[in-house]
Amino acid sequence: MKQAAYIVNTGIITAIGNDTAACLDALLHSRTGVGKAEYLKTHWSEELPVAEVKASNEALAAIAGVDAKWPRTAILSAIAVKEAMQPVADKLQGLKVGFFSATTVGGMDLTENVYKEFKEDSSKVDFDNIKNHECGTITELVANHFGISDFVTTISTACSSSANSIMMAAQMIGNGMLDVAIAGGADSLSRFTLNGFNTLMILDKQPCQPFDNNRRGLNLGEGAGYLLLMSEKAMQQCGVTADCKVSGYANANDAYHQTASSPDGTGNKLAMGNALKVANLQPADISYINLHGTGTANNDSSEGKAIEVLFEGKVPVASSTKAYTGHTLGAAAGVEAVFSVLSIRHGLVYPNLRWETQMEDVSFKPATELQQGIAINNVLSNSFGFGGNCSSLVFSKC
Amino acid sequence: MELYITGTGIVSGAGNSGDESFLKEAPSYNTDKLLCIEPDYKAYIPPMQLRRMSKAVRIGIGASKMCMEAAGIEKPDAISVGTAMGCLADTEVFLGKMIAQDEQMLTPTAFIQSTHNTVSGQIALLAGCYGHNLTYVQRGHSFEHAVINTQLYLADNPHQQMLVGGIDELTDGSLEALKIGGINRRENSAPADVLNGNTHGAVAGEGSAFFIMTDEKPAITAICIKDVYAFTEKDIVTAAEKLTGYINGNSLNVDAVMLGQSGDEKSNAFYQLLRSGVFANTSQYAFKHLCGEYATSSAFALGMLTNANAKGEVLPSHCVLNNEASSLKNVLLVNHYMHYHSCFVLQVV
Repeated sequence: MKQAAYIVNTGIITAIGNDTAACLDALLHSRTGVGKAEYLKTHWSEELPVAEVKASNEALAAIAGVDAKWPRTAILSAIAVKEAMQPVADKLQGLKVGFFSATTVGGMDLTENVYKEFKEDSSKVDFDNIKNHECGTITELVANHFGISDFVTTISTACSSSANSIMMAAQMIGNGMLDVAIAGGADSLSRFTLNGFNTLMILDKQPCQPFDNNRRGLNLGEGAGYLLLMSEKAMQQCGVTADCKVSGYANANDAYHQTASSPDGTGNKLAMGNALKVANLQPADISYINLHGTGTANNDSSEGKAIEVLFEGKVPVASSTKAYTGHTLGAAAGVEAVFSVLSIRHGLVYPNLRWETQMEDVSFKPATELQQGIAINNVLSNSFGFGGNCSSLVFSKC
Repeated sequence: MELYITGTGIVSGAGNSGDESFLKEAPSYNTDKLLCIEPDYKAYIPPMQLRRMSKAVRIGIGASKMCMEAAGIEKPDAISVGTAMGCLADTEVFLGKMIAQDEQMLTPTAFIQSTHNTVSGQIALLAGCYGHNLTYVQRGHSFEHAVINTQLYLADNPHQQMLVGGIDELTDGSLEALKIGGINRRENSAPADVLNGNTHGAVAGEGSAFFIMTDEKPAITAICIKDVYAFTEKDIVTAAEKLTGYINGNSLNVDAVMLGQSGDEKSNAFYQLLRSGVFANTSQYAFKHLCGEYATSSAFALGMLTNANAKGEVLPSHCVLNNEASSLKNVLLVNHYMHYHSCFVLQVV
């Protein structure tokens, strides 16, 4: 029998807030983080809105107490990890602690500023801007800062990355390899990703409208989101409690196209269905679905159709929170895991912002009004990405 | 959990495992980098698709196809890949154009192929594999974590065949950064410099090695991964002590050890502590004179062993560091990349 991975605390920073309380407040008051890029210096700042954390690297580094010369992804990660670890930071003696992070951009925000000069004459470039380029280095910087060394890893499966880091952490707590895990992911905005998504013509020039018939694409966002996961034994030792746990997880591949989802959401269905199986739940047990819901024509159609088939038309209340935070890529599943926990904890369903028109090929309508004080027992959270990578997580009240 | 390897595919600076003469001759070079000697992909990849693939994707798909062929399967149930740097060449193509063209008039192809999970995604796409699919990017533990993930996956989903690989490509840009970082050498190296030298940095490498791993003991001979011990440690004396403690603590019986000795002075000091210590009476073998130094080279070394075992061959004599082993039943693979250390406990079954 596997041990449960209990969710003891959360840590988050996104365009709608620098911690869990601030993000919750924004969700309760329908405040979006999507707007004009101020800190990301890009040709597209007037045309492509983004969900940016409105602070300089220096200001953010001061919050986390880390070096401002770190890549922005590492700084965002450190802020969220610090918050997540806070209740147990000085109580982990003798426990095996893991750090499971996820990122897609790594240190690209610094690399892209010096790459041209580096290629011309590497001696003219401050190597500090290159040396932290690797995704794994971001995780290493943060793990070292917080003294975590028992198991430290980074997963990079595009937009589903941090769902997989939470899955692996739950598995390793489940089979007793670790007592405590901080699991999630982080990604900063970069010109590289903004331009990459722009070439695919899937960026919305206005604030995005997930699951709307007239949706035009996604807005990129940045941030970090982590869960503090613990075994029962570790919770007892630290004198902490939990109100929910990671109950299901699954990873599948759509095997259809490098950057597009199959029309009927083959991988999406497999990920959701298998996550329910691992959780030992029926579709009817799900109280709320936190949709991947990027706002692209392709994703929302495939995801919506897969949900309709899996739930046999009886779709639970569902919404996408990407209209608040933008699509934070490798951080998205971590960010949305935090929102899922808040949904269970406070009995909340978040309105799918800016929704206007029913989709023609999907019959269910996302939640458009805030629901409070309702019983949320099980939340399904979806994350689908490039490379066909599809992952779903189930969080349950305990 | 114990994993059995039933198929191996390698594309490396020393050739590919589909080639009859693979590793038979001692290598000869004088270079700062050992780039992959790529196979004729005709048997593995349709030409239309091949044209669009970057080197990372080609060597990844090529090695994975060789490996599936060796294992006698068409598609795996799940895929787990480790790559420290991902698809660097396409990343640099898109980055270079983005800067040169001031973020305008860009095309998506290089961006699409630049994501770290491109290789695992492409393998799934070509094989029609809808199963679990993960990509690890933890520097010198990327491949090790892909293997640990395989243990976790097969524990939950027994009796399945998992495709597991380690892959990294070298670019001009990454080589320059690795030279500045002191990992790779500015000067040229010959094989003897890797085996016996004591220089600042090592010859650079790249490569792709894939395996079919399963939790069920196969009917034919196979190598079993009994355990993977991975840790980070910046101090080499402490690292050597940790490894020694692990070996002695588990009372491991060792016929031979494969060492990631690279000719780098700092690294040499680490291996020397082990060679004259816990491995003083053990046959010692090297592999980095074949594949060069890169973050996922432990996959190459593991592949050397599993490939030789499957073909009933002994390890090549040019890999012997002290004396040839009389038996190759219990073998350790000890490697480090920077401060990322690992030890694979292997047994021929």
